[in-house]
Amino acid sequence: MINRILALLIRYKNISFGSFPRLLSIFYWPTVQILFWGYFTNFFMSNESFGIWSALNIILSAVVLWDVLFRGQLGLTMSFFEELWSRNLPNLFITPLKDIEMVYGLILISFIRTLIGITPAVFFANYFFDFHLFELGLYLIFLFLNLIIFGWSIGFIVSGLVLRYGQAFEELAWAIIFIILPFSCVYYPLDSLPNIVQDIALFLPTVHIFETMRFILIENKIVSHNVFIIIFLNLFYLILSILFFLRMIFVARKRGLLFNQGE
Amino acid sequence: MPKTSIRTNNLSKTYDNKTVVSNVSINLPYGGIFGVLGKNGAGKTTFLAMLMGLITPSEGEIFIFDKSLKFHKYEILKNINFQSPYVDLPKKITVMENLIFYARLYDVKNKKKKILQLSEDLFIKDFLNNIYGTLSSGQKTRVNLCKALLNDPKLLLLDEPTASLDVSTSEFIRKYIRNFQKKNNSTILITSHDLEEIEKLCSHIILLEKGKIKFDGKKNELFKQNKSSSLKDIFLKDDK
Repeated sequence: MINRILALLIRYKNISFGSFPRLLSIFYWPTVQILFWGYFTNFFMSNESFGIWSALNIILSAVVLWDVLFRGQLGLTMSFFEELWSRNLPNLFITPLKDIEMVYGLILISFIRTLIGITPAVFFANYFFDFHLFELGLYLIFLFLNLIIFGWSIGFIVSGLVLRYGQAFEELAWAIIFIILPFSCVYYPLDSLPNIVQDIALFLPTVHIFETMRFILIENKIVSHNVFIIIFLNLFYLILSILFFLRMIFVARKRGLLFNQGE
Repeated sequence: MPKTSIRTNNLSKTYDNKTVVSNVSINLPYGGIFGVLGKNGAGKTTFLAMLMGLITPSEGEIFIFDKSLKFHKYEILKNINFQSPYVDLPKKITVMENLIFYARLYDVKNKKKKILQLSEDLFIKDFLNNIYGTLSSGQKTRVNLCKALLNDPKLLLLDEPTASLDVSTSEFIRKYIRNFQKKNNSTILITSHDLEEIEKLCSHIILLEKGKIKFDGKKNELFKQNKSSSLKDIFLKDDK
């Protein structure tokens, strides 16, 4: 009996610790939870003047918008993973389909999936909590588009890594969004973070997007400087991620990886 | 009509200092069924994948229908198709949805008509609306063959087309392939472990051993050279 249990233990140990992304996810989750809730509590403790409804409105707006990013990224990576899981990549890549056309296809399906996914959430928030995301007005479209674009950037990086390094990196598809969550200042402002972390967080477009969201909801204004930073960072990351994804397809062809993918 | 269907010049593939295909030069005329034989690890699948642009060669050149694959890839790919038991279609959607998708990629005219015609020929019409993942392996093979024929390929690459199929389905597939070739005068390149299959279908054989060409010519010449009357004998003799 002990031998059999030991065999299982070794097997699960190999599966759990066998790859860097899996190992990272084991260590990372508890830390992320502590950091996230710590910063969140700090912010609300130091802003007691905040009415509960104002706070709720900010939180719900953040929840819905954060989900746009999550859906955008998942919509892209899951569509690509479907091809991998079904061992369909060779069929795809022997058609006249160009690599860049695949990029366009993934972007479009992610956009559609996100719209479908997010609409009921907005409806329920509106119906049950009398929460009006549309108070953000036209800015909502701007924030929505920029979040989904950043979702695509992350999606292309994850898809490229999985294509190149195999399924061990699939965990990243679920985890990566939560890795950047504490540094994205979704539910608390940038100055809640320690100074050194702030300097790094500024490179994330999500920080500027959620700062802008809070500013609109509290001050009913937008900082034009922030708008330019958001657009610049997003375009930079999107171009970089697409180039990375295309490069990984090139490398996969060179290393014969397109044939060896699948469940 | 192009003079050659496939021409390779010193084609090689090396992974991390391990050569899988080494200096393979072939020149196959347009039209006919050709067999690529070799034991496990001989480089058959890598060779086939290079012909479709799925694997980039380390060295050498590939010409399909007299055009360089490197420079005319997408033009060439319109006229190629491929089937392998190791490559599948998305399992969660219906057979029809899968076939329509590929018909779109190949820009097939009258998509539905073409699919219905092929599905009748291949006896898959009854389960066109079934979820692909629920099909048996014999049914999947016929659906994959249907996918591979959607664009009336001038060059059809088949990687073990009858692997793990029962005798009657295998015979049906072989017959269909032979008829398709005759009707379209296309070129079909088959790799298979089933030596009898290659013997029945192919007049020309390329024998690969450790990534190198051991023989490239008419089937009868191979028999003559080895003083054997079957491929099985040649392979068994080699093992001794």
